[in-house]
Amino acid sequence: MSRLIHIAVKDVKTLLRDRAAFLIMLGMPLVLIFILGSALGGVGESENIDIPVAIVSQDNGSEGALFAKAIADVKELESVFNIDVRDDFDTVRSEVERGDLTAALVIPGGFSDALAAGDPVTLEVLQDPGSQLTAGLWAGVARAAAANLSAGQIVRLTVTNLLTEAGVPAGAQQPGGGSPEMTFDAVSVKTVEVEPEKQIALIDYYAAGQTGMFLLFGAMFGAFGFVRERREQTLARVLASPASKFDVVGGKSLGILTVGVAQFFVLFLGTTYLFGVDWGPTPGGIIIVGIAEAFAATGLAMTLSALAKSERAIGGIGPTVIMLFAALGGSMIPVDQMPAWMKPLQSISPVYWALDAFLGLMRGGAMSTVMVSVGALLGIGVVLFGFGLWRLSYE
Amino acid sequence: MSSIVQVTDLVKRFGDFTAVDGVSFSIEEGEVFGLLGPNGAGKTTTISMISCLLGPDGGNVVVNGHSVKTASTAVKRELGVVPQEVALYPTLSAAENLAFWGRMYGLSGTALKSAVADALVLAGLEDRSKERVEKYSGGMKRRINIAAGVLHKPRVLLMDEPTVGIDPQSRNHILETVKDLNASGMTVLYTSHYMEEVEFLCDRIAIMDHGKIIAVGTLNELRDVVGGMDVVSVSVSDVSDSTLSAVRVLAGVESADSTEGKLTVLTKSSGSILGGLVAALESEGAHVTSVTVEEPNLESVFLHLTGKSLRD
Ligand SMILES: Nc1ncnc2c1ncn2[C@@H]1O[C@H](COP(=O)(O)OP(=O)(O)O)[C@@H](O)[C@H]1O
Ligand SMILES: [Mg+2]
Repeated sequence: MSRLIHIAVKDVKTLLRDRAAFLIMLGMPLVLIFILGSALGGVGESENIDIPVAIVSQDNGSEGALFAKAIADVKELESVFNIDVRDDFDTVRSEVERGDLTAALVIPGGFSDALAAGDPVTLEVLQDPGSQLTAGLWAGVARAAAANLSAGQIVRLTVTNLLTEAGVPAGAQQPGGGSPEMTFDAVSVKTVEVEPEKQIALIDYYAAGQTGMFLLFGAMFGAFGFVRERREQTLARVLASPASKFDVVGGKSLGILTVGVAQFFVLFLGTTYLFGVDWGPTPGGIIIVGIAEAFAATGLAMTLSALAKSERAIGGIGPTVIMLFAALGGSMIPVDQMPAWMKPLQSISPVYWALDAFLGLMRGGAMSTVMVSVGALLGIGVVLFGFGLWRLSYE
Repeated sequence: MSSIVQVTDLVKRFGDFTAVDGVSFSIEEGEVFGLLGPNGAGKTTTISMISCLLGPDGGNVVVNGHSVKTASTAVKRELGVVPQEVALYPTLSAAENLAFWGRMYGLSGTALKSAVADALVLAGLEDRSKERVEKYSGGMKRRINIAAGVLHKPRVLLMDEPTVGIDPQSRNHILETVKDLNASGMTVLYTSHYMEEVEFLCDRIAIMDHGKIIAVGTLNELRDVVGGMDVVSVSVSDVSDSTLSAVRVLAGVESADSTEGKLTVLTKSSGSILGGLVAALESEGAHVTSVTVEEPNLESVFLHLTGKSLRD
């Protein structure tokens, strides 16, 4: 047992002195997360402002549609907003929830009647909490329009009163009569934040995706180590000592796992403190997922060591397999934008399970929701480890 | 007295090819035993079976009463192994390498510390012990390679061609080291294809070729195999096959072979054949630059037994 530990320690030490490994396992993911996350993430804030918003009229009279059209036709708004006049409230609401629409102005049912009656009217603005700033702009537009409408209303009511005093019968007056209270709040705007399905910033997504992918590179360097020891005969030398094959395989696996877990912590803490990545409210869960993926990577290392006869071969097979897993898993393009035929293949990719779990936790999911992913990662690890062990050659 | 290493009818096949073909020898405690043979003779394969890296396809090896087939861990504890290739971790320092190998043999704490210190002295690298092994010269690597095999003070040391490809100074250092280790009581199995090393070091020698032991004995016993014969060594420009055939049929020539500008002839009567030999060479168009007559050595034994030179 102590030999196993010494072999693991030696492997960790060796890997820590390998500059290429350092660069690929830590340098590359951090740089990629930074570039992908911040460069692509910045696009939304650039000059071409085209904020998608909607006006939904639920009014059964004609005033609602007229009011909507009046806002939509304001030229000055075109440069900032992409205004859609709609009547399907439920769809609009879910589009705001998803972030497809930044905000929506809702004209309530009975709008025409209320105006006619001079009753106060409340307009609602639904807004995506992830886009406070831009949604606020739209709420401002809605307020201005409401103020306009209120002013018009007051004038109309005043005229109505004068006409009444002049003896014109109420029935002959244009929109309905009643006994109007004069108020500047004839039309008010109330903003409502939609129930948040928490949005994940781009940098958070890439932090999770690249971490999921680069944790597998530990497997490649682990396999390099194994094949190098086979070629340089240090493996034979260890086996000629009283150390057993169990010590060798166990020690090397423990070394790979240790390096993978350390790599995970550097990426986890590095992205949190360097880039402000928000890994969600359950760091314990994130850590469990990270360790589970490091375990899967250890299994992959054994399989690579068994399949590849040379470092060259691993240099070819390793990155290919890792890229494939990463592409299937969503490290490169989000899983829901992937062609349908790829979906059944996703479950073989450790990156898929790791990323799925990371994103779930980032969105505020509880630990219990990622247990399937953790189980899948451990399962993949066991299968790859078993296969590797079965096919491994020590000479 | 029972032998510390007993090799009996050992066989190893790789596919159809029999690399070790019924090898038997025994090594007595405290001696340096030489295994001499050209490249491909089967020396490394034999050592691999003694050190339990390869399982035999036939026969057995018993080390201090433990069979490699039934008690490999016990066998491994008796042994120190110096592999043919330098088998060290290039990015670890000499001291780190030695400590690792010491731990593999169960050393720890102060025992490990002093064993590492001793091994560094043995390798003559005390003052460079913190440098990475990859920065060392070939000779220095070889010395650490040996130190790593002996730091746990094994009862039997297996050395597989430890001097291949190094400078003469490092080679001498290594040969002296082997002598010292043996003087301190370590039993050594030393393989080489350099007859000078084996002659210098070994109490007894087995000559191996094509997977078989073709002769075993002390240096003097082996010389007696070619008893009464002289070795004629001719420095000569390029020897063709037809020249060699012409020499082999000369009267008085027992056997002859050539390597790299050197023709070696075994004869019972060097005095009477020299003239004819040189004449035959010249008539074949070969240009002779020197002729020496030597006492029989292992090279001549090998030539006598196999009909070819040791170094090919
Ligand atoms: N693993 C192997 N597979 C196939 N052939 C081998 C293997 N190891 C050694 N051989 C062959 O066995 C013969 C003996 O090799 P070896 O024991 O290394 O010789 P030596 O050490 O005397 O030079 C050589 O012909 C070599 O090519
Ligand atoms: Mg050899």
